[in-house]
Amino acid sequence: MVRKDNAMEVKDLNLWYDDNHALIDVNMRYPRYRVTALIGPSGCGKSTLIRTLNRMNDVIVGCRVEGTIFYNDNDIYKSQMDVIDLRSRVGMIFQKPNPFPKSIFENIAYGPRVHGITSKRELEKIVIRSLKQAYLFDEVKDRLNESALGLSGGQQQRLCIARALAVEPEILLMDEPTSALDPLATTKIEDLIFELKKRYTVIIVTHNMQQAARVSDYTGFMYLGKMIETGMTKQIFEKPKEELTENYITGRFG
Amino acid sequence: MTEKFLQELEKLTNELIDMAHLAQDMLDDSVRSLKDQNVDLAREVVCKKTELAEMDVNIEQHAFRMIALYQPMAKDMRRVACALKLITYLNRIGRYGKDIANVTIEISNKPHVAKMVSLPHMSKMVRSMVDDAIEAYKSEDISRLDDFADRDDDVDAMRHSIFRECLSYMMEDPSYIVRCTHYVMIARYLERCADHACKMAEKITYMKTGEHIEIEKKSESTPEYCPVRKQGGGLTI
Repeated sequence: MVRKDNAMEVKDLNLWYDDNHALIDVNMRYPRYRVTALIGPSGCGKSTLIRTLNRMNDVIVGCRVEGTIFYNDNDIYKSQMDVIDLRSRVGMIFQKPNPFPKSIFENIAYGPRVHGITSKRELEKIVIRSLKQAYLFDEVKDRLNESALGLSGGQQQRLCIARALAVEPEILLMDEPTSALDPLATTKIEDLIFELKKRYTVIIVTHNMQQAARVSDYTGFMYLGKMIETGMTKQIFEKPKEELTENYITGRFG
Repeated sequence: MTEKFLQELEKLTNELIDMAHLAQDMLDDSVRSLKDQNVDLAREVVCKKTELAEMDVNIEQHAFRMIALYQPMAKDMRRVACALKLITYLNRIGRYGKDIANVTIEISNKPHVAKMVSLPHMSKMVRSMVDDAIEAYKSEDISRLDDFADRDDDVDAMRHSIFRECLSYMMEDPSYIVRCTHYVMIARYLERCADHACKMAEKITYMKTGEHIEIEKKSESTPEYCPVRKQGGGLTI
């Protein structure tokens, strides 16, 4: 049974890409309506872990998972989980903004349409609501029919967040959402994350330790596929318990 | 970048130690100038206040630059933050030295009321506390800070003793009142320097362990002195 205050829980998770044991005995909880950051050097398994949470790794040939990931008391790998439904509830934002080659309106409306919403009025409501939640509406309200590809990088990323919000997820997975953005756009995304956590659970992978320290409530440090230390962000960055964690966050390696 | 940061951290440490030496020398020389009624030495101490202030500002700027440029974490952040606190305490210690030197200049026209033993002894006790604090900062060996509470209590006891001694001189001869008042003030300055050494020890302990501690005077840590506040407000004694 998963504690009600955890949106997801990972237990004894192992993952292989063919013979490569990429995740080793990972255990981690993701508290509801909080931001949890995953940090660690390149190749440590952060992105692999985050992609298990909505089964994005299913599409990778040779990928094998053992262990349990609980979402709403269901093991997402063992139960008769509708993966499409899972991915609408556990949305994902990637490092490189990837708007569809469609209008701003159609980018947001696409997901709800796929889920069966056809009413124009309803779709308009969803698009406006999602753009407002992503703090993008005021910037694009007069050009919703223009191509999304004409937006700046930061705007495109907020569009991608709005697109994820349109299907009413519970959890947002963000894989280095600001690493391709300029500092001002990064600040806007970070401010947005502060607002989003009032209504959603956010799990973010980041290489930027200062960003992890700024935006997250909890942090997990990974190294070579293992979860080395988890805890409140304040504790991890102020006085980590593990020497390896301290060496990483003080830049002694990584 | 880490190597550069570590070099900067070492430089910051050395700058702090230099400032500590200056502050300690100002305190030592001021008490020596008082004991020997050496006005020239006292004037030298007063003139060092500018150098002390400049060091304070330079180290502060250096620490700010390190935070802005390197965004240190964990123990590195605690070390830089500790330096920012220590310079404040060292600045106060040095300025107390300047204040004592000013007293020397003021009362050098007449001999001391008695052979000056207590104040130099008290100054040595304070000096050793500051020495140990700085050594703990440098070496991160906080074991030398374990007895700071007791040593602070000893310094307090000396202040009380000097106060009583001065009272008896003042009652004996009113012409001693001005001079003895100055001695009591100087004892108070030295007591404050010991308090600053304790604050330094607290910050250095935090730097090393990440734990906040408080070095309490034994007299102030009893329930009779500080009544315990019960939950929901109100006091119980």
